[in-house]
Amino acid sequence: MLYLMMVPVVAYFILFAYYPLVKGLQVSFQDYRLMGNRPYIGFHNFETVLHDPMFWRSFWNTLWIGAGIMICGFLAPLILALSLNEVLQNWYKKTAQMILYIPHLLSWVVVGGIWIFLLSPDTGLVNLLLVKLTGHSPIHFLSQESWARSIMIGSAVWKDMGYNCILFLAGIVGINPSLYEAARMDGATRWQQVRFVTVPQLMNTMKVVILLNTMGIFRIFDQVFVMRNPAIARKVDVLMMYTYQKGIMEIRIGVAAAASFFVVLFTLLITMAVRKLTRFDEV
Amino acid sequence: MSRERYDRMGWKNKLFDAVNAGFLLVLMLTMIIPLLNVAALAFSSGMASMRPDIILFPKQFSTEGFRIVWNSLDLWLPFRNSVVVTVTGTTLHVLLSSLAGYVLIHPHLPGKKIMVTFVLLTMMIPQDVVMIPLYVVNKELHLINTLNALVLSGLVSGFSILLMRNFFLSVPYEMAESAQIDGAGAFRIFSTMYMRLATAGLATVTLFEFVSRWNNFSSALLFINNTAKYTLQIALKAMIIDTSNTSGTYLVTTNVRMAGILITIIPLIAIYPFVQRFFMRGILLGANKE
Repeated sequence: MLYLMMVPVVAYFILFAYYPLVKGLQVSFQDYRLMGNRPYIGFHNFETVLHDPMFWRSFWNTLWIGAGIMICGFLAPLILALSLNEVLQNWYKKTAQMILYIPHLLSWVVVGGIWIFLLSPDTGLVNLLLVKLTGHSPIHFLSQESWARSIMIGSAVWKDMGYNCILFLAGIVGINPSLYEAARMDGATRWQQVRFVTVPQLMNTMKVVILLNTMGIFRIFDQVFVMRNPAIARKVDVLMMYTYQKGIMEIRIGVAAAASFFVVLFTLLITMAVRKLTRFDEV
Repeated sequence: MSRERYDRMGWKNKLFDAVNAGFLLVLMLTMIIPLLNVAALAFSSGMASMRPDIILFPKQFSTEGFRIVWNSLDLWLPFRNSVVVTVTGTTLHVLLSSLAGYVLIHPHLPGKKIMVTFVLLTMMIPQDVVMIPLYVVNKELHLINTLNALVLSGLVSGFSILLMRNFFLSVPYEMAESAQIDGAGAFRIFSTMYMRLATAGLATVTLFEFVSRWNNFSSALLFINNTAKYTLQIALKAMIIDTSNTSGTYLVTTNVRMAGILITIIPLIAIYPFVQRFFMRGILLGANKE
């Protein structure tokens, strides 16, 4: 009976998890057409990808935006969690946490739509404030290459700050209270307590958050798909965007499958590098 | 001497608290103001919403934007599709994940190790690699342009299975054993005992799944290209964002766009109180897996 209960799940995983993986490997060695024969062409698809300047441009864009999100998306929630932890009024803390979590709940279509509008040159709130407060002329944020990546990073941090902050807060709750008592006995100010007790005690949580963020770098897709436009595409098109364009728009499925294996290879390499750098295993 | 120091610390403490509270307030405002701005624009008239002076309050209050986006731009159709996909998908996901989670709590089940590994391995498969092959598989199964493709994508996940398993493990196993001795079958124990006792787990998985399905964009983008089968997110992208970049054949005023965004957000806001209760724990359970 118990095995019977497992059957639908196993069947599903075989068909929609394991089979696509094998299929992907197979397709990446084929000149895959939707109709007709599909000859095997060796490593040709992989070569096509490696010789495609578009691929490398997407690669660097991914690294730039990913690194930005990794650094800011690590610092912002950390600062936020430390700040929330210092709030003594419970209601204020709860309210703040509740509000800061909202953007994470919204889809990138909604968040992207809101930011595209907020940043628009003639009616957007950001430019409205900019003009009123500084007298600066409106900035065409989303059609200028120089702003493109910063906006992607900023909006991503804005969206997920409240979420990542939860992980830090949980880490803070786990800190032994006697450490604070000892610090207070020694006359440490609140700032010193944060600096010399909370932050060092959070090291392990920090490593987890960094690693989670790293693995997300090469997955950026929805955001860029929603917020890109032809004027800034050169600066923001990421690797997943490349895969999508090759596979779905140009129907070169073999090339797209080969590209996605490179994406995974990069993810593995960078995850290993980050593990080394943060000495993740020496916890 | 010591009193003096104490006083200074009190003064410093107050400043520290004030600066800290102010900092959080500013952050909160960056989240609230954009949302209020969207709402204010959505409830303004078409003409007023195109002028750059609406910030927090609507001008020429009207629900015109909602009427246009719902009736003239037919947002009701993708809305309905999204509801269908989200509700059926979430229900099936929760059921199947619970079933598998329940099977995996039995300590002496032969082959359990293999099954656990089988489930864990699916979590290692990067979604990026399978995006294109999944398209091929769906094509082979003639699922492209059907809502079934969206229900089936993510029908069950290793994450949810493990989450449910964790919740089931907190139910004392002796209860199941004694029910078994009394002659109850595995499925009965599952449906009458475990599903009732692990409601917190069910709620957590349901909410996670509901939110991610409602917000799902990439699967719908991949599998659907027939406007009649569009989900809300895809339709929103097409009518709200794409029309703002290019001047289309008709003018979609800002209030219409913002009404579309609000309609998409409303179900999420409606479940937010529950999210508060169950999400936090779920996130932490999930993060522990890493």
